[in-house]
Amino acid sequence: MKKDLLVLLAVVLLAVFVIRGTEIQSVDEYYLTHIDDISEDSETVFLSIRCDTILENWDALDSALRSEQYVPKDGVILQKTEYVLRPGDSVFDLLSRATRHHKIQMEYQGVRDNGYGSAYIRGIHYLYEFSCGPLSGWLYTVNGAFPGYGCSKYFPKDGDVIEWKYTCDLGRDVGNDSGSGLQGR
Amino acid sequence: MDLFRIENLSFRYPAAEKNALSEISLSVEGGSFVVLCGQSGCGKTTLLKMLKRELSPHGSRSGEIFYNGLCLQELSERKSACEIGYVLQNPESQTVTDKVWHELAFGLENMGAPTSVIRRRVGEMASFFGIQDWFRKNTSELSGGQKQLLNLASIMVMQPKVLILDEPTSQLDPIAAADFIATLQKLNKDLGLTILLAEHRLEEVFPIADRVLVMEEGGIAAYEPPRSVERALREKNPAHPMLKALPSAVRIFCGVDRIGDCPLTVKEGRRYLSEHWSENPPCVPPAAYMPGGEPALELKEVWFRYSRDLPDVLRGVTFSVCKGESFCILGGNGTGKTTMLDIAAGLRKAYRGKVLVAGKPLKEYRGGELYRHHLALLPQNPQTVFLKKTVEADFEEICKVMEYSAQERADMIESVSARLGIEPLQKQHPYDLSGGEQQKCALAKMLLLRPRILLLDEPTKGIDAFAKLQLLEIIRELKKDGIAIVTVTHDVEFACMAADRCALFFDGEIVSDDVPRRFFAENNFYTTAANRIARHLDPFAVTVEDVVAFCRGGK
Amino acid sequence: MKAFGALHPLVLFCYFIAVLFLSAFTSHPVLLALSLLGAVCFWATLEQGGGFWRSMGYYAVLFLLIAVTNPLFSHNGVTPLFFLNGNPVTLEAILMGIDIAALMVSIIFWCKCYSLVMTSDKFLYLFGRIVPKLSLVLSMALRFIPLFQNQAQRVGRAQKAMGLYAGTSYVDKLRGGLRVFSVMVTWSLENAVDTGDSMRARGYGLKGRTSFSLFRFTLRDGVFLAGTAILFAAVLAGMRMGYLHFTFYPEVAPVQTALAAIWCYVCYGLLAFLPFILETEENLKWIYSVSKI
Repeated sequence: MKKDLLVLLAVVLLAVFVIRGTEIQSVDEYYLTHIDDISEDSETVFLSIRCDTILENWDALDSALRSEQYVPKDGVILQKTEYVLRPGDSVFDLLSRATRHHKIQMEYQGVRDNGYGSAYIRGIHYLYEFSCGPLSGWLYTVNGAFPGYGCSKYFPKDGDVIEWKYTCDLGRDVGNDSGSGLQGR
Repeated sequence: MDLFRIENLSFRYPAAEKNALSEISLSVEGGSFVVLCGQSGCGKTTLLKMLKRELSPHGSRSGEIFYNGLCLQELSERKSACEIGYVLQNPESQTVTDKVWHELAFGLENMGAPTSVIRRRVGEMASFFGIQDWFRKNTSELSGGQKQLLNLASIMVMQPKVLILDEPTSQLDPIAAADFIATLQKLNKDLGLTILLAEHRLEEVFPIADRVLVMEEGGIAAYEPPRSVERALREKNPAHPMLKALPSAVRIFCGVDRIGDCPLTVKEGRRYLSEHWSENPPCVPPAAYMPGGEPALELKEVWFRYSRDLPDVLRGVTFSVCKGESFCILGGNGTGKTTMLDIAAGLRKAYRGKVLVAGKPLKEYRGGELYRHHLALLPQNPQTVFLKKTVEADFEEICKVMEYSAQERADMIESVSARLGIEPLQKQHPYDLSGGEQQKCALAKMLLLRPRILLLDEPTKGIDAFAKLQLLEIIRELKKDGIAIVTVTHDVEFACMAADRCALFFDGEIVSDDVPRRFFAENNFYTTAANRIARHLDPFAVTVEDVVAFCRGGK
Repeated sequence: MKAFGALHPLVLFCYFIAVLFLSAFTSHPVLLALSLLGAVCFWATLEQGGGFWRSMGYYAVLFLLIAVTNPLFSHNGVTPLFFLNGNPVTLEAILMGIDIAALMVSIIFWCKCYSLVMTSDKFLYLFGRIVPKLSLVLSMALRFIPLFQNQAQRVGRAQKAMGLYAGTSYVDKLRGGLRVFSVMVTWSLENAVDTGDSMRARGYGLKGRTSFSLFRFTLRDGVFLAGTAILFAAVLAGMRMGYLHFTFYPEVAPVQTALAAIWCYVCYGLLAFLPFILETEENLKWIYSVSKI
């Protein structure tokens, strides 16, 4: 009986491995991403990552994160930077490439792991959803507006300005009054 | 003064045609040991239950019962619960709680006794009954004898003045039963406790009783000191059926010309025979067992254990039984006799050795084939055989399984029922039958399978002397049909009459094996009471009839 | 045996509640390590011999499985070791996995100890105080279950020996099982009639029933209960004041070494090892007294 349970658990773990595939990369390999050089005729977008709202809600922040190391003084994790927009790139692809290039930690919930049909960004630079109060998390704007889609379903155009913002109040503190949830949820 | 006085007590169950008790008048002296006996259904249990107000059955009654000069109905509830103790037949179902100590305390808890009092009394009783070693055990872990002793002790803590016991030893093996009776005797002797005991195994209780109450059909057949019971019964009816149920010494006395006082015990019986028949020549030794006939069931070097780490239960059991032969295997409790039958019946598998049924290895019987037309096992508790609401429905079912045609089915049921004399029982619920009736109906169910080999596990457990005699007749009948019968039992008296061949099972093997008269003549202790009475004169006399024949032969 | 098990059920119950509560509501690795060690040591005194090592093997594997599960699903932490399908497997996540494994396995061990020490009669005693009728009913049920199982087995075997429902098909087996069950219901009723008779014969139903038990609350029990309470309160206070706060993400926090924190560790250690200390003390006493003889 006991043994059966153990075997079952091991089998489930193994199955998870198999289903998700097993591609193991070393740290250096992973961060060794190629960023396309910007040329005259390449389409580009601008991307920035900010967490200004945390500075205003310092008391609500998880005590382990109360350090400049995790929350920069000016609230800027990634300066507004221009990136090449490859054909078919979604907001998620761009974020993923940018964080990888700058070795910024990022964790997401894959498309297969949730019911929204889109990847969901759980944390960037160790700042996670709920890290700063129960209404906190990551969201993004495109040209200042909040698209109602998940980030892997939104495909930006040439010249778009994408801003990833940390909110401590479901977006209300960064100008989203529509009441829609984070990242189109 | 009389502890109980019963005046003209009659009782009838609702919707019954006859009185269960009719016009009973008797008195029980304080401090006496009274044994009640009689055929099943004679009203013993009803009478005993009438004496315990809490258990009195519903129905129409007339007459009075006085306890200590006071009408039983007027006795206070507390006094009635405390002073009149009642032990039921089945050791298992009357245990209420899961722990031994809790069971002991249960009655006193009901009385509202404070913890300190309960602690003291429980401690005292546990010491008196030698329960201290299993005081903290679960009641389900106890053996049958321990359970019944616990039931007795848990009544004794309430300090009763009188103890009523309804066949308390019927589910126990002989050794546990003797222990239990000895405890009762001790209570009677040392504490002056009044005891009313219904019992059908009279060998041990008869000599220690002050009075024996023989009942028949709801009335009193005799209420006498043990030495005069036999005479009283004979005066009433020279062929009184109860005469056959009396202890061996009394039956021997009854069978020969009755001179002097009636002996009650083996010791008295020996002296009695020595005084009067020591001149008789001993009988001719019976012939030794001659193997012959076609073997029906063979066990060859069978080894068995319950699991790898446990010791062997069977160590090379070897025996064979021929067609039409009755083979009795005797042995103590828990020696593995039942396990051996289970193996023979294919319920368990031996890890070494062979079992051959009609010359074919057990393994080669597929599915239910073995149990159809070949072999049937009657378990120790015949109740477990029945699954339906009436005996008849159970019979019908087994016939369906056997795929008899409708006509064949009716014929089979009729002939089997007629043979075992159970026609009137067919419409009843199996659980409402007495032990002996259940046994017969269960046997009938087995016979519908048309077995050639019949395995009986403790068939005499819980049945009275008459049912035993009937069973004996049935076994003799079945033998004539060529059915091989293997019986496993503790009951030496039964074995010596039922068997063509007896064997002793000990330490996982069959140690000796011979015709009953030679088998018991060889044993000193493990033999019948009649043989123990007469063995110094005629070692080959094993049954009461043998002894009587020996005495008569000399004249 | 069983110096600890011989304590009053109330003390035992409070002790287990305290330990389980503290283990379940902390993620502090020091506390969990103490809890796990304490539980395993205690369990070792309860279950000696081969059973111990076999179980230890089993729980070691379980521990590992739980420990590797966390880094597969959680990717937080500043020290990535390698990347699995584009997700970092971090040192912090692995350490947290070990921490969770310690939490779960220690709770399992405490529960195992609980079930060995708090036998049914102790449990019944505790709750029988609150509802006396219920405790009797439970006690009767506990007696009845083995009886029922036994009889059901006997019936099943008797049927099998008649070749009924012995077929290999599942339908046949199920039908056989149902029939046996239905007759067992009848049997239970018959049995209950006898039990009822036996209860009435012994005056059940009279007013003013008391409830007897073998347990006595002694001074020793009082001391032990007070000790448990004090240690529990101390650790709880430490928790409330934040001395026992610990985080794994994004970076493993340092173990606090303030004096108050160390006091908390000591208190918790004492609490977790109390049963083991008690058992060992008794064992040593025995060895000592035997050697003197």
